[in-house]
Amino acid sequence: MEAAAVVDETCAAFGRLGTLEPQAIHRFIVGQDRAPRTLSRDEAAAELGDPFATLLLLQAVFPRSAEAVLGAIDDATAGDDPLRQQMSFLVGEGSQLPDPEIASRGLRFLVTRGRSSDGAELIISVFDPEQTDGVELMAWDPVRGGFNYYRTVGDDGAWVFAGNSIQAVLEPTEFKGPFESHTSGAILMKELKTPWVNWDSPAATVSADIFPAGDPRATHSFFLNRERQGAITCEAAVARPSFARWARARLEAVTSDDGTVERPQRIVDQLLATRTANLISSHAESSIVASVPVDLPVTFFVDADGLALVGLPIPSEFKLDGSIYAEAIETLAVHLDDEAGFEQPGDTHFAFVVPERAAEDQAVLAQALQVGLVSDRLAAALLMVDFPNPIFSPRREALLAHVPAQAQITDGASTFSDELANAIVAAAEASPEGSPEREFAGLWEVGEGWKEAFGQTLTAYYAAIEGKLTDQAAFDDWVRLAETRRARFRQFRISEFGLLLPRSNVPAAERRMNPDATVSEEA
Amino acid sequence: MALLDHFATPANLPEPNQAGVDEWSKVVEDLVGVFAGQFEQFYDPTEDDTPADAGVEVVAWRAFPARLDGLPAEERWERADSSRAEQDEYCEWSVERDGDEVTRVTFTSEVPQYFEHLHDRDTVEGTERLLDFYREFVDPETDPGQLLVASGRYDEQNPFNQSTSGRLAHLTRDNNLFAAIALAASATVLRQRNGVPVTTQQALVRCARLGNHLRHSDPQIAGAVNRHAAQGREITLRDPIGVYIAGIELAEMVAPDGADVADFWEVERGEGDRILRASFRVPEERGYTVSNVELAGTPIRFGAQLAERVEVKIEAVAKAAGHQTERLPCRPQ
Repeated sequence: MEAAAVVDETCAAFGRLGTLEPQAIHRFIVGQDRAPRTLSRDEAAAELGDPFATLLLLQAVFPRSAEAVLGAIDDATAGDDPLRQQMSFLVGEGSQLPDPEIASRGLRFLVTRGRSSDGAELIISVFDPEQTDGVELMAWDPVRGGFNYYRTVGDDGAWVFAGNSIQAVLEPTEFKGPFESHTSGAILMKELKTPWVNWDSPAATVSADIFPAGDPRATHSFFLNRERQGAITCEAAVARPSFARWARARLEAVTSDDGTVERPQRIVDQLLATRTANLISSHAESSIVASVPVDLPVTFFVDADGLALVGLPIPSEFKLDGSIYAEAIETLAVHLDDEAGFEQPGDTHFAFVVPERAAEDQAVLAQALQVGLVSDRLAAALLMVDFPNPIFSPRREALLAHVPAQAQITDGASTFSDELANAIVAAAEASPEGSPEREFAGLWEVGEGWKEAFGQTLTAYYAAIEGKLTDQAAFDDWVRLAETRRARFRQFRISEFGLLLPRSNVPAAERRMNPDATVSEEA
Repeated sequence: MALLDHFATPANLPEPNQAGVDEWSKVVEDLVGVFAGQFEQFYDPTEDDTPADAGVEVVAWRAFPARLDGLPAEERWERADSSRAEQDEYCEWSVERDGDEVTRVTFTSEVPQYFEHLHDRDTVEGTERLLDFYREFVDPETDPGQLLVASGRYDEQNPFNQSTSGRLAHLTRDNNLFAAIALAASATVLRQRNGVPVTTQQALVRCARLGNHLRHSDPQIAGAVNRHAAQGREITLRDPIGVYIAGIELAEMVAPDGADVADFWEVERGEGDRILRASFRVPEERGYTVSNVELAGTPIRFGAQLAERVEVKIEAVAKAAGHQTERLPCRPQ
């Protein structure tokens, strides 16, 4: 039976579904389904091959909360089943702020089941172990490949299948529903790298004291038995293996038996555009920056992870005198504001949180290189266009217009890289001076000596940055640029909480980094 | 638990007679006693009761030095492998190679004080337990004279225990039992700056001068102990007191023949998850080396790659005590 059509194509659409039958499997793939509908058992069996479906839903077991899901999995499996292996993690913006009455810190648990070199089989995200509405669950589907996305709707906890990872990168479902946040179908761990700002980890342990008095979560097993290495384990044992697993499965899924790659533009999109991002910070607590050096994340300046994949030089570290940092915080009135009444002068727990190119994009690039779809030279030349702006670069994104509609991989090699490069170079001639096409053409024409030539350009840029690490005005400009990028990040659906990023008195403007490490502001 | 009868050897390593048991207990008691006398909320469990409902907190961190975390992968691995002095997280390692191929990586969290104890007992009893250890675990050709300084005392930085290549013996420099106990004890002091409680990990380490704020271990230990102290509790370290390797995270580790890489991790000394010494090596019959194993898609060419996955821990005990201690200002920097 189909309910009334839902016009909303964002992930908020799930909040508008009304009451659904809790003892049934529903499907609502935003962009494809006009409204949620109940799947027959045969329909569900044909579409869903993940353990959550096969062990529970298809057996007419409909647990209503995260806690109940885990109990039902235990009931359905033998004692030595890998699905009995559980890990739990805690994340929350402002989780290091001492006042337990701050309601907006967004404390939530990530609980996983199954553990292998490929990561977890089942991942649940909840604010409360017992909540029934809004339980988000991803389960790897070994039949279809990719994660199946589910969530509960309503107080009765009705389960809705919201799509498979592959639908994140195919029309008409891409960027809709859950794929607004999971833009390429991968799992989310925004603060992926050390020191994992906001996550419980050895770098910043989250104490039970942050829960309001009497909050049952403080004594729940999700909290008490959480992984003691916290985000370290989540990064290594859940997030990164999952990125790699999905990138492999995805490339296989979009490549037919004769080697034809469907929609190669969608793969190159992850190299040139910024549909999502991770957050990275310095390792210094902002409360002590005035007296210690601050290591500015190198990925603020350059796409170090991408450049490393193609063997180009990356910077070691950029260390700033803490007093310069502290003065910028003061001058630019950097502060926290949860937009719900809590304000505090100063930066986030770890200083200088900024967006960086997403790890899921890096995983796709690594896989595209691995299968021979993209050559090192092409990837390097594309990354070198507007290289001082590793994310949110309209110049790089403009090159997407030239990506061929089809690609072919034969015996681990492809002419796709040359075809794409030739298309851009051909377009360069008719493009205005200073166009991104002309910039690319110049880089491509370097030919076989690209590694050395690009390396020299990058090394000069790194030296320019080094030269400004003692310059207060230069750093103030970098903070302004950071604010521009943070403003862009806030437009992403994954920017859900006010305390995620700091605020300041920096006026909104488009800003970009230049190869001499100065910042240009555009009207 | 009541009153602890004596301090056991690390991971309950066997001691051949009561004199040895007593002697090691005294080594620890002397260290713990000094700090118990100095810090109101740190106690000696052989002197003060530990009730059955006292809580145990496992404080864990990674063996890889936090100071190097922000560097690019190759650079940080090379640097951490280059010198034992870089390995400052109460866990050190050394690498055996065949040409460019890594054949085994050995990790230790054994404190030098225990080896001084072995030497002292050997001197008293005419045994060769120290030499036996070196010949079994480090180098079968060890000459006893190479382990001692001219005065006849044990040389913890003897020629076999300086390098990052081959098979190391035990921890060195600041990675020792005294430092671990001192840190835990000192962290019981509550601090404030300008009337505002100092509670976050790095800030606490800086404020109280408890070590290096850019380590995994120091801020983590300090933060955990200080949180208990703020609840008025008294704290000690759990017997057997020691720094332990808790295990290794094997996710993203793939052997070329699909073998279970858990089989490559061998606990050489310790009990349960109180590991003192462990190594990572591919059994010879498999016909390949550690360097053929991939970690996160990259062949293992450095011991440091594994160190990023090795977990180190201490275990603290906190008992309710009702202290309402005044917060002290930060120590002068």
